[in-house]
Amino acid sequence: MNHLASRLLQVAVLVGAAPLCSAWCARLRAWFQRRQGAGLSRPYANLFKLFAKEDLRPPGSSRVFAAAPRVGFLALGIAAAVLPVWQPAALLRAPADFFLLAGGLALARFALSLGALDSGGAFAGMGASREALVAALAEGPMLLALVAVALVTDHSSLSAIAAATLHQPFVPISAVRLLALGSLAMVALAEAGRIPVDNPTSHLELTMLHEAMVLDYSGASLAWVEWAASLRLLLFLTLIANIFFPWGLATAAGWLPACAAAALWAAKIALLAVFVALLEATLAKLRMYAVPEFLGIAAALATLAVVFTALPWS
Amino acid sequence: MPHSFDVAMGCLLLSAALAVWKRLGAAPAITALAAGLGLAGWDGAAALLRGAGPPAATASAALPQFPLALTRLSAFFLLLIALVSAPVALHAVSYVRRHFRPNRARAFWALLALFVLSMMIVVTAANVFAFLFGWELMTLFSAGLIALEGDSPERRHNLLIYVVMMHAGAAAVASAFFLFASGGATLSFAGMGAAALTPGVRSAIFLLAVVGFGVKAGLVPLHLWLPRAHPLAPSPVSALMSAVMLKTAVYGFILVCFVLLGPGPAWWGYLTLGLAAVTALLGVLFALGERSLKRVLAYSSIENLGLIFLGLGAALVFRSGGATAWAALALLAALLHTLNHALGKGLLFLGAGTVGQSAGSMELDQLGGLQRRMPMAGGAFLIGCGCLAGVPLLNGFVSEWLLLRALLAGPALGEGGKAFALPLLSGVLGLVGGLAAACFVMLYGVAFLGRPRSEAAANAPAPDRITTLALAALAAACLLTGIFPGWILFPLAGLTAQILGATAPLPAVGAVARLLPWLGLGAALTAGALAWRRRRRQAPTWACGLPALGPRMQYSAASFSKPLRTAFAFVYQSTRETRRWPADEPYFPAAVAYSSVRTTSFERKLYRPLAGWVLTAAQRLRRLHSGDIQAYLLYIFLALMALLLTLTGAGPSAATPRVPLGRSASLGPFSSQAGAPARRGRASSTPRSGPRSEISRSPRAALPAGKRRGPRERGRP
Repeated sequence: MNHLASRLLQVAVLVGAAPLCSAWCARLRAWFQRRQGAGLSRPYANLFKLFAKEDLRPPGSSRVFAAAPRVGFLALGIAAAVLPVWQPAALLRAPADFFLLAGGLALARFALSLGALDSGGAFAGMGASREALVAALAEGPMLLALVAVALVTDHSSLSAIAAATLHQPFVPISAVRLLALGSLAMVALAEAGRIPVDNPTSHLELTMLHEAMVLDYSGASLAWVEWAASLRLLLFLTLIANIFFPWGLATAAGWLPACAAAALWAAKIALLAVFVALLEATLAKLRMYAVPEFLGIAAALATLAVVFTALPWS
Repeated sequence: MPHSFDVAMGCLLLSAALAVWKRLGAAPAITALAAGLGLAGWDGAAALLRGAGPPAATASAALPQFPLALTRLSAFFLLLIALVSAPVALHAVSYVRRHFRPNRARAFWALLALFVLSMMIVVTAANVFAFLFGWELMTLFSAGLIALEGDSPERRHNLLIYVVMMHAGAAAVASAFFLFASGGATLSFAGMGAAALTPGVRSAIFLLAVVGFGVKAGLVPLHLWLPRAHPLAPSPVSALMSAVMLKTAVYGFILVCFVLLGPGPAWWGYLTLGLAAVTALLGVLFALGERSLKRVLAYSSIENLGLIFLGLGAALVFRSGGATAWAALALLAALLHTLNHALGKGLLFLGAGTVGQSAGSMELDQLGGLQRRMPMAGGAFLIGCGCLAGVPLLNGFVSEWLLLRALLAGPALGEGGKAFALPLLSGVLGLVGGLAAACFVMLYGVAFLGRPRSEAAANAPAPDRITTLALAALAAACLLTGIFPGWILFPLAGLTAQILGATAPLPAVGAVARLLPWLGLGAALTAGALAWRRRRRQAPTWACGLPALGPRMQYSAASFSKPLRTAFAFVYQSTRETRRWPADEPYFPAAVAYSSVRTTSFERKLYRPLAGWVLTAAQRLRRLHSGDIQAYLLYIFLALMALLLTLTGAGPSAATPRVPLGRSASLGPFSSQAGAPARRGRASSTPRSGPRSEISRSPRAALPAGKRRGPRERGRP
């Protein structure tokens, strides 16, 4: 199971399945809102169309504009290589830990924000500025929550965390994990740009965060941006699924256990997506200046989680 | 046979001498400077790899009171100085040619060589006097370089603040060193570690070191000078000051707190951690609030020094808890971040100078669109920004990663509060990292991307080849250290293990050094696959379908950071004022003026009262200056009496420690300075002895009497 091919395949599946996950979320949201919704292959068709279309660039833009979506996608690829998907062994081994995951996410945002500022418009700058607010405040709680889990399991690589959690019983749920889960879930909503922090389906420029940044992209560049956005959501869902609920990961060698574990992983993601869609269907987007409070709560939960790691009953 | 390091120092002196020689051009001086830097860098690298090098023999022979020696720690800092100074000097070649008239250019090259020389003296000094000598010269030469750039009341004021704070810091550093003498030690660094000090004195030394080196490093609240002095200097000098001079404070702190003082109580570490966390956070928040390239960079230096001291504090905590391997890892992270910040910040300050020369301004709101005008320089600047924002595949990420690994080991210290204090700081690391990324997106995005915001920026010429080469060299160093950090990680691991006496190999270091090249390879392959080029048609930027989108409608530095500044409004506390004309027309004013002045609360609540207090005290003391010669004679007489009484009356009591006269006399010209503070300190520390009350009472009692008696006495012959 630790075959290089199998570990590479995990990254490929993660990247390949990302649009499907977004489509599933949109479909669920449509159902909750009593709409028909688009089919699950819609994002793939969309990507296919965009890759064939012409790539436009704003006047006065430099190479940074064209490079940004590609670098952003690549950075998320680095983050994906750190995550275990159906076996507790990610593509990148032991020293590659959650800090590299956070670094990949940060690099993606760094690149995309620069691309936005290069378009020379007002909306893109606005989007970049708002994204900076969310990202700067989300990185602290994210690290703290993962530090808490790392302290509980005494490992810092995500594969090792998942493997260590596998051997633990489910029932006495530890307070640390619960707090870290709460914090990480809030961070995931913020980082992936979902309601209540951002509305990915908004059509009004003044209310946009992420979408405002990418208003001027078209063609293949836009395809990379959209693919990366869906990958970001799937990364966070997989992270939550595999470090808090790793039961079912393949520990035995062979293709059959791997396939079974992959199916179980897909089921977990589908279930987590229900929560995301439920929030999206029922909640309204927060006022932007309420986002710091939202992330402040996440930070407080994560801080408590780290403090609780030192208590004997955790 | 002179040691090659002596030759390097000689080259630098020679360079200064050649520079002031009017008949020669700048070329010989620059050649000598380059030779000196090359030799010093070679020596540093060799000594770092080999372990301790032999002390520099001839320097000691010529000036026995002024010994220099290359330890492994000094070798690292020597390498750092040479590594950054060389591209800075290269950049200066082009900068000086355009910027200064020949007279000033000569002074610039001479002062630059001496400035570099003084920093090398600081990091290679083998005793207290050589260290303090270099430490003071460093201030003076950098002040001279700042003064070269121009003159105005505001500049003079800021320069004064710089020099005053540096001297205050130097006083604290000197006191810290001289306190070692109370333990009966010599004042050479080789012997000072053996000083027998009481815990109280050790803590006093530590606190003085925090203050003294904290001023130089710009730890909040001692940072006031830093954002004032750095923007004043010519850009190559700003680069040197920020990238290298601040690092001498790190060297000094490690020297005193790790090498000379043994393991201390845990609160040393926690105090350092607290200061460092506040420094890092406030530094990056203030950086976000600035709108001028150099001021953003100056505040970012404060942030990064905060991160470095976070590593040093963690190392102190681990050492007091007995976890030496983790202490060594934390120290390693601090040293690596020292190097990374030196490379990145040197690059960015040089880039700022390049922008200033090409576009005629360093105000972010006057720039924009420079990436198209100078692709190479802009690309290098982007790498510098990525390095300091801590994104993967660049060097800043490696040191922050190792720092996080060290912080994660908090539970190695024990149970309870000790276990979670260090891991909690990873939240600070995350917040600082996120804010720094936002800050550098703002810096690069507003200055280099989008549309030009001024005519000068739209027509900015590309920099010449020398400038580009200097920037590219530093950018390549950042990239190489980010992907192949092993070249410096393994020597540093040996160095930190040696300082802390760790025997086990450092955790995580080898694995990180092996992983990153693979990551770099994978990223390069994928990037190659993604980067197939197509012609792209130009289409107008989206503006809701409306025409006439102008460059002033882009987001500026102020508007970019506005959401973050609102979220952290309690930090900024700016005083805002909106004025409308005419005043009785609130809804349809003819003109509106808005001003927002941000004075940091430290300046209002700490420095201004302190300055007021000092001025008041000075005013009071001025009354002693009556202009009356008899009064002055009386002062001298009273002071002599007091001194005699102190020496004879309290002298024989052996209870208080003091410098043995014989030893301090052997220290040459500095001995009187060494002895005096110790004696004065002793006098004031024995409150019940007779002579002390006499000292404190006599000037006050004598003053009115002397004044009254003055005219009468003058009448008598």
